[in-house]
Amino acid sequence: MKRRIFVASSMAAALAGCAKATNSLNEWQAIRPALDSAETLDHALIGTRGSAKLYAPSDITQDFPVNGLATPTQSEYLAYLQDDFASYRLPVSGLVERPQSFTLAQLRALASLDQITRHDCVEGWSVVGRWAGVPLGSFLQLVRPKPAARYVVFNSFDHDQDGTQFYGTLDLVQSAHPQTQLALDLNGKPLDAAHGAPVRLRIPTQLGYKSTKWVKSIQLVASFDHIFGGQGGYWEDNGYAWYAGI
Amino acid sequence: MDGTAGTAPKHAQAQAGTPGRVVYRHSVATRATHWVTFVALIVLVMSGLQIFNAAPYLDASDKSDPARRVLSIEGRDTATGSVGVTTVFGHEITTTHLLGYTDDGQGGGNETPRAFPGWMTFPGYQDLAGGRRWHFFFAWIFVIAGGIYLIFGGVAKELPLIILRPSDVPKMWPMQAYYLRLRKEPPDHGKYNPLQKAGYTAVLFVLAPFVIVTGLALAPGFDAIAHPVVWLLGGRQFARTWHFVAMLAFIGFFFGHVFLVVSTGFLNNMRSMIAGSYRLGEHEGTGP
Repeated sequence: MKRRIFVASSMAAALAGCAKATNSLNEWQAIRPALDSAETLDHALIGTRGSAKLYAPSDITQDFPVNGLATPTQSEYLAYLQDDFASYRLPVSGLVERPQSFTLAQLRALASLDQITRHDCVEGWSVVGRWAGVPLGSFLQLVRPKPAARYVVFNSFDHDQDGTQFYGTLDLVQSAHPQTQLALDLNGKPLDAAHGAPVRLRIPTQLGYKSTKWVKSIQLVASFDHIFGGQGGYWEDNGYAWYAGI
Repeated sequence: MDGTAGTAPKHAQAQAGTPGRVVYRHSVATRATHWVTFVALIVLVMSGLQIFNAAPYLDASDKSDPARRVLSIEGRDTATGSVGVTTVFGHEITTTHLLGYTDDGQGGGNETPRAFPGWMTFPGYQDLAGGRRWHFFFAWIFVIAGGIYLIFGGVAKELPLIILRPSDVPKMWPMQAYYLRLRKEPPDHGKYNPLQKAGYTAVLFVLAPFVIVTGLALAPGFDAIAHPVVWLLGGRQFARTWHFVAMLAFIGFFFGHVFLVVSTGFLNNMRSMIAGSYRLGEHEGTGP
């Protein structure tokens, strides 16, 4: 019996040591550039090509889930929610020839992209929904990106528990993909607060964490190195890959 | 086991030279890529389980569909405490400590609702972003090592010897009978016996491509350029299920492989895969 306890406890110690070893390797910063080289290869080989599969209305997921951060609770957002976003403006600034702000009515007038696509979450599940809104590529043509512009930054109303603002970035190729949109409607109704009202990004050729919810402002930049954590998004600053086509 | 020359079976003399003689069995490319692949598979399985833990269920469907769930591993609170429950094709099995309610991987021995325990995942604690980093890096290592094996170690010498041919099929049962000690001598064969050929051909040309394709099918960027592949697999979530099945097949292969390495002359086999040299004997061609 003693022998069995000894064997069991030494096995438990060995197993705990296994977790500690992989944890240390995971925190080994010097190997990060090597690991991240896979992302560079994936981006080069898969990139943003082709088009995401389009689905039929009967494929739409019932009981549409909510994931990611909780709905914004800051007073600015709640005030917009109170007046049904009547006073909401979407400012587009940075490296553009024509910086301007858009009302929700102006955005609705531009909403020509209505598509049923699958939303693939990084966690491994997926849902099918119908998103309607403004094709991002033609939207950006209205503000005319300057030649130096390389990335589009989407600032969100949302903050995490520590008060860090949520944001995301796409490059101009991803932004110009004909299925990338500033979504206004989900499944035939204006987005509700939980699903990103009044405007959310939708890029069906990438994982869901790139589709920034509750878009507050858009900015075109040459580089995101000096924006928040410098990795090109809230999730990227928390360790996720910037290229999320895989 | 020197001096067995006189008692070696005829097939070894006919096919593989004098028993007891040391031959150069595996090229540098074969040996190097073998061990790189070994490490890569360990990291891929462990980081894959880390990734699985973020959505600990598998569906036989395109989009997620609880009605077509084939596997789920969850923690549940009951009146008598927390339990781990694994549901396979609707059958619930209590798997507390092993699956569902398991070690949190922090190294302190605490348990939490978690599909695979910390000691099975890479990293140990819950970190989907970290698991993905390791998984995608070693996926490339796996692919590159496989490519190097095929080009440098395989094409010229190894592949003609290792690929299963129609003429090998009738010899598979006699070989199995030899392994089961129902037959005294194995059927005539070359460097690899018919069962080895079947196993290696299946792993190299069926399982490895399958695990790569089913993994890629999970990527929305890949789906956008290769819908038919995802469709053939039954959809995106079905591809995730197939990818998991492919992992189980690799684990099955691993244990079978190691069993044969150990049971057919462990040191001789290890020497041939580390240093390249191999002592011919009655086990020639019946190894791992």
